[in-house]
Amino acid sequence: MVNQPKSMMKQLNRLIGISITILLISCGQQKNDPTANVNQPYPSQSGGALVDAMSGEPSGLIAMMAGESSASAIASNIFNSLLKYDKNLELTGELAQSWDVSSDQKTITFHLKPNLKWADGHALTSDDVLFTWKTVTDDKTRSPYGADYKLVKKAEAPNPSTFKVTYEAPYAPALDSWSGLHILPKHLLQGQDINNTSFSRNPVGSHYYQLDQWKKGESITLKRNPKGTQGQAKIDRLISRIIPDRAAQFLELMADNIDSMSLNSIQYARIFPARPDLTAKIAQYKELGNSYTYLGFNLKRKPFDDVRVRQAINYAIDKQEIIDGVLLGLGLPVASPYKPGTRWSNPKLQPYPYDPQKAIALLKEAGFEDHDHDGILDKDGKPLSFEILTNQNKEREMSAVLVQRRLKEIGIDVKIRVVEWATFISRFIKTGDFNVVLLGWGLGLEPDQFNIWHSSQQAPGQFNFIGYHNTHVDQLLEAGRLELNPDKRMKIYHEFAEVLLADSPVVYLFAGYGLPAINKRVNGIDDPAPPAGIGHNSYEWYIPAPLRRNEMSAE
Amino acid sequence: MLKYLINRLFWMVPLLVGISLISFLIMHLAPGDITATEASFNPKTSEESRQKLRELYNLDKPVIVQYGLWLKRMSTLDFGHSFASHQSPVFWQETDKEGNVTKGMIQEALPITLLINVLSLILIIGLALPLGVISALTQNKLPDRSITIFVFIGFAIPSFWLALMLMYWTGVSNNWLPISGLHTLGAEKLSAFAQLLDTLKHLTLPILISGLTGLAGISLFVRNGMLDVLHQDYITTARAKGLPENTVVYKHALRNALLPLITIFGLSIPGLIGGSVIAESIFAIPGMGKLFYDAVLMRDFPVIMGILTIGSALTLIGNLLADLAYAWADPRVRKGVSQ
Amino acid sequence: MMAIFAPCIAPYDPDAINVKNILLSPSSMHLMGTDGLGRDVYSRMLFGARISLLVGIVAVGIAAIIGIVLGAIAGFYRGWVDTVIMRIVDIMLSIPTFFLILAVIAFLTPSIWNIMIVIGLTSWMGVTRLVRAEFMSLRNREFVLASQTLGAKDSRLIFKQLLPNSLTPIIVSSVLGIASAVLVESGLSFLGLGVQAPQASWGNILTDGKEYIEFAWWLSMFPGLAILITVMGYNLLGEGLRDALDPRTSNNK
Repeated sequence: MVNQPKSMMKQLNRLIGISITILLISCGQQKNDPTANVNQPYPSQSGGALVDAMSGEPSGLIAMMAGESSASAIASNIFNSLLKYDKNLELTGELAQSWDVSSDQKTITFHLKPNLKWADGHALTSDDVLFTWKTVTDDKTRSPYGADYKLVKKAEAPNPSTFKVTYEAPYAPALDSWSGLHILPKHLLQGQDINNTSFSRNPVGSHYYQLDQWKKGESITLKRNPKGTQGQAKIDRLISRIIPDRAAQFLELMADNIDSMSLNSIQYARIFPARPDLTAKIAQYKELGNSYTYLGFNLKRKPFDDVRVRQAINYAIDKQEIIDGVLLGLGLPVASPYKPGTRWSNPKLQPYPYDPQKAIALLKEAGFEDHDHDGILDKDGKPLSFEILTNQNKEREMSAVLVQRRLKEIGIDVKIRVVEWATFISRFIKTGDFNVVLLGWGLGLEPDQFNIWHSSQQAPGQFNFIGYHNTHVDQLLEAGRLELNPDKRMKIYHEFAEVLLADSPVVYLFAGYGLPAINKRVNGIDDPAPPAGIGHNSYEWYIPAPLRRNEMSAE
Repeated sequence: MLKYLINRLFWMVPLLVGISLISFLIMHLAPGDITATEASFNPKTSEESRQKLRELYNLDKPVIVQYGLWLKRMSTLDFGHSFASHQSPVFWQETDKEGNVTKGMIQEALPITLLINVLSLILIIGLALPLGVISALTQNKLPDRSITIFVFIGFAIPSFWLALMLMYWTGVSNNWLPISGLHTLGAEKLSAFAQLLDTLKHLTLPILISGLTGLAGISLFVRNGMLDVLHQDYITTARAKGLPENTVVYKHALRNALLPLITIFGLSIPGLIGGSVIAESIFAIPGMGKLFYDAVLMRDFPVIMGILTIGSALTLIGNLLADLAYAWADPRVRKGVSQ
Repeated sequence: MMAIFAPCIAPYDPDAINVKNILLSPSSMHLMGTDGLGRDVYSRMLFGARISLLVGIVAVGIAAIIGIVLGAIAGFYRGWVDTVIMRIVDIMLSIPTFFLILAVIAFLTPSIWNIMIVIGLTSWMGVTRLVRAEFMSLRNREFVLASQTLGAKDSRLIFKQLLPNSLTPIIVSSVLGIASAVLVESGLSFLGLGVQAPQASWGNILTDGKEYIEFAWWLSMFPGLAILITVMGYNLLGEGLRDALDPRTSNNK
């Protein structure tokens, strides 16, 4: 009686079993040749494909419109700017072969390289540059990046290889701004609505690569552009797979389905060293990033308007511990708001050392003592207690936990609140409704930080949301914008950093390293990384023929 | 019957409007909008451009006005365009004057989610029916207990944990299945059949993970339904009449026990378009779950409203169909309704 | 059980960071190893147990209260009150639950209370339907009608007679609800919207460990198993209760 249903079950089982076997037999994925030796030297050669992963998908490939990092990463392989930064982070020409600054420092004349072409064969001239400038400054263009370019009073293209801009007043960040503007083709975009054009999904550029295929939600494939204005890249194709979850990315890296990924500290420092099978086929690199993480005070609220309190907190935090604990040592302490090792970072400044005694003394000066012996400092009956707000970012969360512990040791009661990004910005930052935040600034290479520290930038939605007001700093920032001479500028910004450090409106926590892991099949990578990072010569990377991945072929 | 149908259909419209209003209000409870999320914290950006964007998208108008504008567009079935992805239409594709087609976001995400959900449902039924029947027939004995435990494990295990472990086991340690994504690189060069197989291989783990949770509920349901029915008088009668056990179990008991299952199907129709955010994130599948989740984080109101509207419409239709099917299948209810 | 006694039995302070001990595997010093900041996983699991279960119980409590109130009113009074309430239930059911939770949590800050409230607010519909069904069927039974003819007030009827008899499905669904609340919390943690650092919950320990799934297996294995066993346990309990308390099926062997 009970057997009958069982026989049905058996048949079902058999069916399932057969289907699974079919699936499994019909080839596991073709694996790449395991016998090829990755450690022997190979000559540089063209060909092959590099596969990497990105967490999000670009909304479009016109960088001035699409703000997300995945968009600019891919667009940077497709488009050129007038200038670029070389491996030592010096400005050099990309589309421009040279440029002159007039003696009144208000006019820059760019001389374009000869015989520039777009990927479709059309000539690339100063008309395109002018068109791009007009587009980014147009009121109807919905780009948030227009501010720098709107400062140009007059832009001209007197002949096809010359582009001239004149500013109202000398504007030092100008040159940097021209390294960040992707030049767009006038012949394809004229008459189109830049906000809605299909060009964004099907761009034509002038750099090493052009768009081959964009599979929505899955991957974006770039192929070599034979007409590239800067020459030819060695690797045939760049494929970026969209893999939102980092754990899945790591599994794909281990299974040799992607070639590169950026690791976190634990993967870099703990997992890889313990796995000889991984280090045999994947190489690890380390490059200093362009960002720093900080603890910011709301200077409009007590007690953070008292410099002694801010300095005390600075002394109470053990920054090396945060670097060791959160980054496993893969970071550097900072004492100015710039990338360590660059000319703008003041080498004479040292971060506040870990000195809890000094912290307690400073707080006592400011009137904070543990009058009621409850373990928490207080003043006028109110305990020194506040909330640190941060967004959903593992590193920041962990740093906050460490900060909380150190502050607790000197009697400051700290709570941590992690908030989702959009809420964070609109509900807390914009309204100024916060006490302390733990955030980071991802900066460019231009030292001007007017938008962040000048007292005129405190309106809701602007970036001086901590409410910093220091007339000396204001003057330095204004002077820095007008001074085009790099050495004089350097002095200005060194002084700026010095004042900032003494004032301690923020506590600099660390500047972390980027930790890319790239499969050893990719040769030609500079190690150790130069200041510009390993990507500076990515067009020279090559994949030797015996190491290339097996491609699918029709059977 | 017809009257009942018309009555229900009539009620759907105000219900839909009500649902959309509630959804809209909840959505606007959130602090922030698209201008807070897009490139908002880059010091090179300016506040005025954000303000202009706000005006363009009508985000500066009172909520009720915004709702009214949305409703007006929806009455012509115009779902609007996504805020975050400037040109993409929310629902269906559009062709511009040069003949370039931009596909709609839901149009692209829905088929994948539907595929996974439908296959997952088939898997669930395929497994739950026999498991439930066996359970019922061997009540409280070993097969019943072990099936119950197995099914509950499937329900109780945190799906992303299981997913990652399976991905590791099948993709890294052994080279059986792909780890994430929908297609192998270069798959379009293969024959149609090979492509199909490739896609199925990529979908194996997602379908398995999606199905595992539902398996517990359905097989338990089948089990309990069968148990109820098996102890009814007419079954004892059938056995007394000497009918073979097979006929008793399958022709009589099972069919009656399955009636409530129809209601379950109706109720699971709206679930069909709801992709699991977790599974889609882990397996890198661009489905409805990921679409909704991203839209929520980016405050992409048109997309959020589009998905919720379609979801509620499907729920209402699904409920209606379930009730109708149940009424038709069960003569008792049919008589009661037509009175 | 262990959850309640967590502070007594936990060998370490769950928040005690020790940067030198990052990601140690299980040993006699640390029964379940340490996590990314050197905190003892066993202690965090114990405290996490309290949190995860607390979330489950409170969420279900909220759902039950709302469900009982609405279901009772709908089932007892019938008429247009019933229609309105059931339409509201329909509306709430139309929006896929997880989506709703997701949307609301993303908007509110994901504190423990908000999570509990939101899960509660989105799962009362089932209880409502059950209570309503019970009330409707019980309402016309003799003992109720008898009390009514004797002049008993509505509230007395509801509380003294109908409610106690409807408890079975409520209890069963509540037990099952706790189980699913624990799962939902772990799902939210995966998306970053669950219980936040530095507080430990099984969901967030599991999420923290997901990138090291084969290297630091202890970070995911223990919370994963804990969730598995707990949820399974509650489900089996719920099903068992249902079998035991339901007069129909109790006739079977």
